[in-house]
Amino acid sequence: MTRILLRNKLDECIAAWQKAGFSVLAPVRRHEMSSFGEVQKVADMALDLVLTERTIKDKFFPQTEPLIKYKISKQQIDSETMTPPDQKRVFFGVRPCDASGLAIDDPLFGWDYKDDYWFRRRDNSVIVTIACAKADDFCMCTSVKLSPESTKGADVMLRPLLEGSGWQIEVCTERGKALLEIVSSLLLEGNGHTFPLPQVAEKFDVEKVMEWLASKENFESQFWKDISLRCVGCGSCTFLCPTCHCFDIQDEGDTYQGIRRKNWDSCSFANFTMHTSGHNPRNTQSTRWRQRIMHKFNYYRGKFGVNSCSGCGRCTRQCPVDMGITETLQAISNLPR
Amino acid sequence: MGIQEQYRSEAAALLSSGEVKLIIGFGAGSTADRRRPLFARTPDEAQKFVLDAACIANLSTYLVTEGLLSDGKKVAVFLKPDGIRSVNILISEAQLKPEQVVILGYAIDNAEVTPLEGRKISDFSISEQIRSLTPPPHILQEAERIEEMSATERFEFWKEHFAKCIKCYACRQVCPMCYCRRCIVDVNQPQWISTSSHTLGNFEWNLVRAFHLAGRCAACGACDRACPVNIPLRLVNYRMGKEVSDAFDYCAGENSNQKPVLASFKQDDPETFIL
Amino acid sequence: MIYSPFPMRVVSKRQEAPGVNTLKLEFVKQEDHEFFKQNYKTGMFGLYGIFGEGESTFCVASPETRKEYIECTFRQSGRVTSTLASVDAGDIVTFRGPYGNRFPIEQFEGKNLLFIAGGIALPPTRSVIWSCLDQREKYRDVTIVYGARTVADLVYKNELDEWKKRDDVRLVLTVDPGGETPDWQDHVGFVPTVLEQAAPSPENTIAVLCGPPIMIKFTLTALQKLGFTAENVYTTLENRMKCGVGKCGRCNVGSVYICKEGPVFTAAEVQAMPQADL
Repeated sequence: MTRILLRNKLDECIAAWQKAGFSVLAPVRRHEMSSFGEVQKVADMALDLVLTERTIKDKFFPQTEPLIKYKISKQQIDSETMTPPDQKRVFFGVRPCDASGLAIDDPLFGWDYKDDYWFRRRDNSVIVTIACAKADDFCMCTSVKLSPESTKGADVMLRPLLEGSGWQIEVCTERGKALLEIVSSLLLEGNGHTFPLPQVAEKFDVEKVMEWLASKENFESQFWKDISLRCVGCGSCTFLCPTCHCFDIQDEGDTYQGIRRKNWDSCSFANFTMHTSGHNPRNTQSTRWRQRIMHKFNYYRGKFGVNSCSGCGRCTRQCPVDMGITETLQAISNLPR
Repeated sequence: MGIQEQYRSEAAALLSSGEVKLIIGFGAGSTADRRRPLFARTPDEAQKFVLDAACIANLSTYLVTEGLLSDGKKVAVFLKPDGIRSVNILISEAQLKPEQVVILGYAIDNAEVTPLEGRKISDFSISEQIRSLTPPPHILQEAERIEEMSATERFEFWKEHFAKCIKCYACRQVCPMCYCRRCIVDVNQPQWISTSSHTLGNFEWNLVRAFHLAGRCAACGACDRACPVNIPLRLVNYRMGKEVSDAFDYCAGENSNQKPVLASFKQDDPETFIL
Repeated sequence: MIYSPFPMRVVSKRQEAPGVNTLKLEFVKQEDHEFFKQNYKTGMFGLYGIFGEGESTFCVASPETRKEYIECTFRQSGRVTSTLASVDAGDIVTFRGPYGNRFPIEQFEGKNLLFIAGGIALPPTRSVIWSCLDQREKYRDVTIVYGARTVADLVYKNELDEWKKRDDVRLVLTVDPGGETPDWQDHVGFVPTVLEQAAPSPENTIAVLCGPPIMIKFTLTALQKLGFTAENVYTTLENRMKCGVGKCGRCNVGSVYICKEGPVFTAAEVQAMPQADL
């Protein structure tokens, strides 16, 4: 029997979850930016957005994360490993693209060496996805074989009801089931008619793209130079991408103490692969752009069986020069064979 | 003939005569209201240029791409007054040779686009335009609102905004004046500016950039538009520009013969030392 | 936890050549040492660092037959290496590893071994050389061809003397033309040229080749002229690294992550990579 969560019960749900030790995060608009932030009630939430400008990636892989606190002298080191906070969290109102971003990154952070900074946060969090009621010109989830109602990465999937009074519930995982147990008395039995999904037209043929990328002679094609002429080499697309995961490790402090940190980094930065000798394997913007596309649609797929893209379209939405991967993939799938 | 047609044929002529090797302009973007930078090397490609009131980006930033002008050939570029101002500043800082830049100038006034007379940088006398080139009213209003805040309120305001910064450096990459081959954040012996994106690190980056742009900013707003987390960077640079203007009666970009205000010393300067 | 390094005590520092030092490190904690002993195999690398400066990637220059300590040899070139070059015995530095893959030396048993190295690339080769020399009876002929720009730039000078004196090792030493000193007794010439002249036989031979990319390119050509196949030549690749465990996305050449699937590769594997990404 399906159940329904009514919007006017959400405040009580939040209170119940908080009582059970969860902090509740949802889409919010604060300081001219939409992102996920802690909320106390449904009025704090901004659930009408196509998606938030920032992803939930920040909450699992923060833009700067302390790893080790150290105190040093020449003949002694005192170091303390810093661990992520042990706070349970509910992410309410995640879009399917953002939720799938987390699932896409799991195999990388678990590749032989387990990155506990990621997994402790993952294990403490419950993802409640809300299926999309609208899309914009930049959405391209269907092109990467996801959809506005994809349950990938979701613990609970909510589908908006036609009248806007609430959501139809689908339980996706045990963790989701346990979360709903806490508020089971606040849920209604019933079906309800759900809001129709937005039509997100396919923008490129991802199979054709992968085929072209897999062909060795295309690695040095003039195509890469032509398509990346206007890229200015900032990190907007990589930092706002739900799946991008590159990072830097930096020590910060003074002569005697400091903190070793993991910071976001981007393959589009000029010095990303710079050797101390001065040799830089990717010393032009076109080689860096090629790396980005090949990594997402060839290397990552080869290793983990999935493309490193959730189709959210933020790369194009936020790009200062209107680039992003959609245009490149469209161009590749339109290349004469 | 509309301005778009006029410039398309001019661009095609510049390319087919071989006078320029490349033209940097605008093309249709991924949605109806967006325009994107477009590079044309042949007369056919020049037919794709679009020029309308949505073409607001400052394309002069591409002129300082590493190696672009090292062959001595010419490049043409579509520029508004703020872009022309940028070219003046770049020339005065020895980053561009005036004879290598052909300018297809235009101005946008109330959604109408008009051509500007001239092709060489020295043709454009826009100092009057620059002096009176105040930022859009909503920026001015916001600047005044902040001016009226107490120091604590102002700090809170900026703390909230800089806390959002993700150190993507989009502001730096789109800025024509940020052309350093090795930015100060990339120097690690010592690491002057923290690379971490916590609030302190974000303050360090944004303030240092504002200082490095003082007296050099063309007020084009590219940084503000580029910022993916909506930090009102225009306000910071506007305020710095005002400080310089009030202190030194200097406005960057009026012509290409200006001496950079914070990098030059005159015998009659009131200070007795260069610092 | 991941990214947490082991504290290491500097036992000694030896200058090998101008700007090049070897550090001998011992483990501060017993459990770290046990981990290393269980996991280290020749070819693997580590991230050597100093809190406050950062970490730098080099091979473990000591062989898998001598795991009581770690030796690393590096050129002073940037922030971390400059600080590492200035440590004294008794100082504490950090080590993270051992990471990466290994030279499959058990597959070399019963074969002739040809080691070729240039300049600062002798350290990774030296790790394999000693792993084999410490079990000398398992291998047949051992030939070492090593060259540097000048006599002063030769590293492990005392070990070169040792190898020269052994009658179960053939050592071919060379310096670049112009790098010789008046009393230089050995060859003068670039490594690929000298290699061709020494003309080792490819018959039942494994070659281990380490050096700067340009030297590898020309030496591979020389080896192929001598009849070696790319599957029988092993080499190491390096790239800028930060995490060392395949997560920071930086060290790949095409789809191959040097920190996880390397740094040891056959020449055939290297030739299969997109050369434009090297």
